[in-house]
Amino acid sequence: MLVQCAPFNEQRINDRSMRAAVFRVRKADDFANQQAFDRALAALVQATPIPAEVEEWFSKETMVAPPRWTWKKTAQNPAILAIGIAVAVMAGIFIFHIMEHRHDFPGVETARKLLITASSSRSVLLDPVKTDAGALSDLFFMKHRLEHYDVPPEFADLRTLGCRVFDDEDSRRIAQIWVVEKRMQFFLFPAERDAKTGAVRGFSGWRYVDQEGWTGVVSQRNGVCFMAALRGPAKDLAPYISKGK
Amino acid sequence: MTGDAVKAQEIFQATMHELALRSAGGELPSDRLWLFRDARGRCLEASESGLQAEPIEMEEHPVKASAAAQMAKLEPMQLAIWISGAPEPQRTALALFYLDQFDHEDLLTLAEVKTAELAKLIADGRQQFQAWLDITIPHEAA
Repeated sequence: MLVQCAPFNEQRINDRSMRAAVFRVRKADDFANQQAFDRALAALVQATPIPAEVEEWFSKETMVAPPRWTWKKTAQNPAILAIGIAVAVMAGIFIFHIMEHRHDFPGVETARKLLITASSSRSVLLDPVKTDAGALSDLFFMKHRLEHYDVPPEFADLRTLGCRVFDDEDSRRIAQIWVVEKRMQFFLFPAERDAKTGAVRGFSGWRYVDQEGWTGVVSQRNGVCFMAALRGPAKDLAPYISKGK
Repeated sequence: MTGDAVKAQEIFQATMHELALRSAGGELPSDRLWLFRDARGRCLEASESGLQAEPIEMEEHPVKASAAAQMAKLEPMQLAIWISGAPEPQRTALALFYLDQFDHEDLLTLAEVKTAELAKLIADGRQQFQAWLDITIPHEAA
């Protein structure tokens, strides 16, 4: 269809679909005939005598002003479209990355790994200890030489089922406590430190972290992080923190 | 469009007069095709008032490779009269298409037709003109 009204002058082919249609049939005999016919007819038109007083108004170059630049036409250009889509995808990934990490805090990666540990832990792995969680600080200090491994007051009154101390893949000493209530697990682990100065990279208050259906709430004090973790949403942990306030 | 040089000149002058009036009033048309649109409108008005060509079934022949040689024997006025006798909007489509000043989008805008219609008008026009050529200047003569 486009080929039937294809311009016989290549300079008049300005749109992509017309250019593609002409490209497809450029070697066909029928199209060559059509173009020769059109050019011969146009030559006859050009030979039409024009009165001098009319001709002086125009030169060939000024008969039709070039079309104006429009956003719509620019946006339809495949190269611009491709760049636009690429930029949009990159922007989307960037925003997703920011949204995902906006609640991050120093030690969040360790907390996430420990949530995975929590999800795969069985109570039989722990040494049975039935006491208040707050009372285990002395045990960690006396038996394992772990200083400031204290359970915060918000969770200190919960009764324990067992505990253990293990080294993670970075050889950091991790204390794990299993409590009766809601089959919650507590983790105490060293706070993240600045690689150059060795100073603790602290943060204030409680921070939430989640991983594979498990939620943890983390605080940091005296260079040690405490995380209470359970399977479920953050609202299940919120009452404990607000009780502390 | 009119097939009449005098009438065409009058229309041209009327269009330029209108443009001059608008320019003086500080109302230059923003449409870059205004001049052609206005001139076409005046041509249509003028042709409605004059003698009307009878609508007849035009014979059609496939476009031939020898058409260029046949056309070389034609006078431009013969072509102008043939095009001016075509029914609207075919007349506008053929006149603007062979003027070789407009791209496809401009043609659609000025002739106020869709692509499919424009393609049919021009394709039919070719075959009808070829048939007329075959009668007016037989191939042997060319």
